[in-house]
Amino acid sequence: MIRKKRSFTVALSLLLAMSIVLSACGGGKNNSEGTAEKPVELIWYTIGTPQKDVDKVMAEVSKYTAEKIGVTVKMSMIDWGDYSQKLQVMTASGEAVDIMFTSSWAFDYVQNARKGAFMQIDDLLKEHGQGIVDTLDPAFLEGSKVDGHNYGIPANKELPAQEVWRFNKQYVDKYKLDTSNVYSLESLEPLLKTIKENEPDVYPFAVDKNQMPYVPYDYVIEKLPMAVSLDTTDYKIVNVLDTPEMKQILNTMHKYYKAGYIPTEAATMDSMTDVQTTGKWFADRATSQPFADNLWSASYGYPVVSTPASDAMIYNWSVMGSMQAISANSKYPEKAMEFLNLLNTDPVLRNMVDSGIEGVHYKKASDNVMENLDESKNYDMPTFSLGNVMLTYLNTTDPTNKWEEFKKFNDAGKPAPLLGFNFDTSKVTTEIASVQNVKEEYWAALMTGTVDPETYLARANDKFKAAGLDKIMAEAQRQLDEWRAANK
Amino acid sequence: MGAFGRFFKNINKNAAMLIMVLPATLWFIFFSYLPMAGMVIAFKEYRYSRDGFLASIIESKWVGLQNFKFLFSTNDAYIITRNTVVYNIFFIVLGLVIAVAMAIMLAEITNKRLAKVYQTGMFLPYFLSWVIVGYFVFSFLSLDRGVVNQVAGWFGIDPVNWYSDPTYWPIIIVVVFLWKSVGYNSVIYLAAIMGIDKSLYEAAMIDGANKWQQIRNITIPMLTPLITILTLLAIGKIFYADFGLFYQVPRDSGTLYSVTNVIDTYVYRGLKSTGEIGMSTAAGLYQSLIGFVLVITSNGIVRKFNKDNALF
Amino acid sequence: MSAQTTKGRDFHRLTTAWNIAFHAVAGIFALLCVFPFLFVTIISFTDETTLARNGYQLFPEKWSVEAYTYLFKAGDQLLRSYGVTIMVTVIGTVIGVVFTALFAYAISRHSFKYRNFFAFFAFFTMLFNGGLVPTYIIVTQLLGLKDSIWALILPLAVNAFYIMILRTFFSTMVPDAIIESGKIDGAGEFGIFFKLVLPLSLPGLATIGLFSTLGYWNDWFNALLYINTPNLVPLQSMLMRIENSMQFIMQNSQNASLSVGVLQSMPQDTSRMAMVVLATGPIVFAYPFFQRYFIQGLTVGAVKE
Repeated sequence: MIRKKRSFTVALSLLLAMSIVLSACGGGKNNSEGTAEKPVELIWYTIGTPQKDVDKVMAEVSKYTAEKIGVTVKMSMIDWGDYSQKLQVMTASGEAVDIMFTSSWAFDYVQNARKGAFMQIDDLLKEHGQGIVDTLDPAFLEGSKVDGHNYGIPANKELPAQEVWRFNKQYVDKYKLDTSNVYSLESLEPLLKTIKENEPDVYPFAVDKNQMPYVPYDYVIEKLPMAVSLDTTDYKIVNVLDTPEMKQILNTMHKYYKAGYIPTEAATMDSMTDVQTTGKWFADRATSQPFADNLWSASYGYPVVSTPASDAMIYNWSVMGSMQAISANSKYPEKAMEFLNLLNTDPVLRNMVDSGIEGVHYKKASDNVMENLDESKNYDMPTFSLGNVMLTYLNTTDPTNKWEEFKKFNDAGKPAPLLGFNFDTSKVTTEIASVQNVKEEYWAALMTGTVDPETYLARANDKFKAAGLDKIMAEAQRQLDEWRAANK
Repeated sequence: MGAFGRFFKNINKNAAMLIMVLPATLWFIFFSYLPMAGMVIAFKEYRYSRDGFLASIIESKWVGLQNFKFLFSTNDAYIITRNTVVYNIFFIVLGLVIAVAMAIMLAEITNKRLAKVYQTGMFLPYFLSWVIVGYFVFSFLSLDRGVVNQVAGWFGIDPVNWYSDPTYWPIIIVVVFLWKSVGYNSVIYLAAIMGIDKSLYEAAMIDGANKWQQIRNITIPMLTPLITILTLLAIGKIFYADFGLFYQVPRDSGTLYSVTNVIDTYVYRGLKSTGEIGMSTAAGLYQSLIGFVLVITSNGIVRKFNKDNALF
Repeated sequence: MSAQTTKGRDFHRLTTAWNIAFHAVAGIFALLCVFPFLFVTIISFTDETTLARNGYQLFPEKWSVEAYTYLFKAGDQLLRSYGVTIMVTVIGTVIGVVFTALFAYAISRHSFKYRNFFAFFAFFTMLFNGGLVPTYIIVTQLLGLKDSIWALILPLAVNAFYIMILRTFFSTMVPDAIIESGKIDGAGEFGIFFKLVLPLSLPGLATIGLFSTLGYWNDWFNALLYINTPNLVPLQSMLMRIENSMQFIMQNSQNASLSVGVLQSMPQDTSRMAMVVLATGPIVFAYPFFQRYFIQGLTVGAVKE
């Protein structure tokens, strides 16, 4: 099996071979497994602060799933900040996992799908995941394809992303400001001016280093300046820093910065949480979902209102906000798919995973409404990361039409041009590494308006060019054209 | 067992020594040398195989030196190399001088109780992570609320936007580094001073040598082997930079990159989005190889002067 | 001058002027080092809203123990983590110092034929390593240490840097004459090592012991890699996990689900500072135990007559 010309690798790896041989013993598949009497155990890694009662709840879950589909579940939670790194090491070393959380923002889905961390599930979905296919908006599965195949199951949640301007209602009311006409960045100006003149302690426009001004473009890679226009017909990839829209926005941001609307140190601020705690801010921009105002207000402890700043568009990254994938080395891929199918279609299982054991962690207030009990502090799970959220029971404080509004929101979303296209960077990794460094050097200063775009933009573009941005764009264009030809 | 017993009885000088090195040698084999096989990834486009790590390595494509290219592809290559090496030279030289001076002072101070208090105090920065140190530096240098600009304001000096002006950062970086590391490093020298044979000082005193002569003629020569070894080891790490110092302390401010971007931060930023293990392994191998060559060379020079002071 | 006259021929003592100068330099530097730490403690007892509004203050408007309440919510977990850390630190330091001392002593002896080979053998590992993934495979698959306390102890037990330092201590502090005299008395190599060499090298051993203790105490990465069972999570790892996650969520504050769902339950700046206090406090008290070996009467021996 091992060819001769690879003997160098083999020699070097020989030391490791021992370990693999030793650890490989004791595998072995048994066909009679996976029934209610002899269930198989699925190992499930998911993101979130580890909860005390996970094992307890999973024991309950396992009872239910053993009965239904012949599997038991062992869940390991890895905390937010450690998840990507830990899963990276685990998958690279081929550790036994069956199901794992993946997304566009933690343990990168596309990247790891390409590296072979996940099992390709096109056929599994058809055979054992029909429920998922029926439940999900088709855009979810379409948008999460990597090179034409599915490697993960997106959670049924908000599908498009909509940018909004958020306002601290206290100041809107105090100065009787009209937010209904605000849409573009420029239209904010009179409001910011009022606040700047009357409230010296308040940041009129709360911007931090993660700020991305909204421009009507769909980025090929998040925060790298290659994008196609949202209403493109020719699918031409352009340098977004060269577009008139971006130039105008950057000029406006710089004007705001000089006028003192933007925090002086925005370009190095990780977050605005301090300011949000004290409420000393007036406006900022955020990505929204239905009833987000309520959530924000509840979370900050004072009322927040918002108005749209863009259309609701379905992007790759919004589709991949939360997914479950089956590990490439899973011993029971069919069983894993059956389990995921049940998780995304069966309210009993889904709510058990989400809220724990009825009567212990929560109690039911009515058919689909629940109330947390004291014990829920030992089982407080991030709902959005565990599959179909529209099956979960409402809280007593939630509006009764919550999920209907989500469905409406999803239906209204328009697909962005690059939905379903994922750039394969493996031919240009060298250039990407250099371009990333250039981006980090200039991006935050430009986007927060800290520096004058007249001089900085040209400097940044020169450096981007030298780092090989053109080569990356040409490669991306080639792949995009191929993709379009294949998806006509 | 019999053979082993006879061998043991045979008390051979080297056998006793070999037994002494055995535990750590085994440790090195398991925790250092076995994993080194993984260095081959630096020459591969590493992709996972469902049959485990070994299969992944074998099945991954050879890419030659492709993974190393990103370290040299742009002008940044010069900047990051220069920054890494120049900072390290300053760290090595200043760190050495100050730590030795501090150790001598602590050893000479007559009030031992106070010396202990000082020494404990100097050690505390070691416990603060770079993130926390970053906060403190920010509380000093913040444009609006920083202590430095406030004090400057009292004297009518215009505030400086520290995080966008690279001029002062080389000094800030070096000062912060020394502040954090001197306490830790001076312990080694302090311990070495303690170990110096007291009779040497007594003899010197009988000869009428004053304190300075004692320090110059006894303390420093006795510290020389340690200074040499630690410097040699530091030279081996000259292509490595402390990530937190160069990333957290300047708050990852882009305008400061000309003086704060080092190899480690460059690699981190470059690989954040692609996560290529092959490329990060390649970067590490490159840093180590250069360090290795430099140590071997300087060790050779040291050997010429004094064989006993060399590493090997 | 006056010191010279009153102390007579005691050349070993500094003149008063120099003594004062040394006190001033060391004292001021120590103060600069202690100050931030005091500040950390003060901030950890500051009210969160006050902190967000006023920034860091030496005398905050409003004090609060909220940060500690948040951390102590973990309750028994925190105590257990202290337990794990102490156990790992003690066992690890003992193993580490023994392994290191034996190896370092052997390569410090001229009579050991392979000393240069082994010195190089150790040194080489300081520069080259296979990276995270291969090490992970060795520890979890070959040695089977996943979720075991040994996964926290063994990977840090030996360190070539300590070996090189200690070897230098042995070769400079232990005069050859002592070893020769031991041989003449008929002691074996181990006898010489334990009875003659070790007592002479206490400052060096204490240095390595101290570094090793601190290394174990501050380690969180091995636990991140190898430990899933909450019962085996050491203190620093528990605190770093919270710290990392706060950072991560803040950096992803654009993510709507994350920012509204999770951020609000996270503690803020004050808790970070409280973590530093909780993690550092106990070890600072352990410090004097080692310290007496490297600050003690240098002068006592010298002026005993």
